[in-house]
Amino acid sequence: MNDAYVLTDSEVVLSRARAGDAAALERVYRAYETPVYNLARRICRTVEDAEDVLQETFYEVCRSIGQYRGDGSLWGWVRSIAASKALMRLRRNKYRDTDELDEEFHRPTMKVDGGLRMDLEAALERLPETSRAVVWLHDVEGYTHEEIAGMMGKTVSFSKSQLARAHTRLRRWLGEEEARA
Amino acid sequence: MSHLSMDQLVALREPGAEPGTATAREHLAGCAACQAELQRLDQRVARLKALPALRPARDQWAAVNSRAAAARRVRRLRWAAVGGLAAAAALTLVVLQRRTETAQVTTAVAIDDVMARSNQLERVLEAYNPDARVTDGVTARVAGELEDRIAVLDRQLNTVQMLDARTRDAALLRLWQERVGLLDALVDVHLTRASNVGF
Repeated sequence: MNDAYVLTDSEVVLSRARAGDAAALERVYRAYETPVYNLARRICRTVEDAEDVLQETFYEVCRSIGQYRGDGSLWGWVRSIAASKALMRLRRNKYRDTDELDEEFHRPTMKVDGGLRMDLEAALERLPETSRAVVWLHDVEGYTHEEIAGMMGKTVSFSKSQLARAHTRLRRWLGEEEARA
Repeated sequence: MSHLSMDQLVALREPGAEPGTATAREHLAGCAACQAELQRLDQRVARLKALPALRPARDQWAAVNSRAAAARRVRRLRWAAVGGLAAAAALTLVVLQRRTETAQVTTAVAIDDVMARSNQLERVLEAYNPDARVTDGVTARVAGELEDRIAVLDRQLNTVQMLDARTRDAALLRLWQERVGLLDALVDVHLTRASNVGF
């Protein structure tokens, strides 16, 4: 997790939050609002979807915080809810994973050193939803392929192949391809 | 061997040894191009992690809190409804208990009355002292039958003590009433015979 997002006095805050104290619940929200939104925004296609995921996540946190037993970190628990909500949103929207079609409609935005190159933000944005979700959950959030497969309702092989495909594309779009003899 | 595929490079970054990892590592050790590719992959992941956090444009707490508060209110109302039902059930139980208690008091009073009546009849019989009197066969037979039934009732009165309070009181009242009826009949039998024979 990002160490910057730490809930201070977590035991006291948790105890009050479990009792339904709105101020304590707001402390939890303030502590994790940005990483939750960031995760949602990286996975979902639109700002509106990410905002919905943010709301859904914290509504669920407020509703279920009594069930958090403190086995793992609070952030880990909140993040699993956020990831689940974001992936649910992807499934609901049924965005197409038609990479080739996407590539037709998305053109590289920057020209560097005479070649076509995107910045990482744009390249990530351009990835199909599923690939992007796998890259983000695996490479940034640190989920294992087993965990990702479980959350997505797919196989471990699917998660692995999505990650490899995503990196192949990112490499190309970022202009990192180098001929290997 | 050809260069490592992206699948293999990605697999090399995984903790633990996967099938084919050893071969891939062997190739990697002697291939500068694949080493550079793996390094680029590591750097790409590092850059992904270093991307600035995207922040929500709007504060969503008010909406979250309002929705959560509404849900809490609904939950409280549900619990209150459950509590209300429980309270109503408890009240009904109290009323029933009071009624039962009242009924039990009424039964106890009735038992006292009927026992008093039974004692009164016993005293009448005792005063008449039928054992000391000469009786005809019919009277003796009827009186004997009545005394047998009274004896059965007395045994029942003893066993009924083992029942729970509510059942016991009702049974006691019924048995004592029956006993009084039999005693009444017994007194009648003796007194009628006495009257018939001119005592």
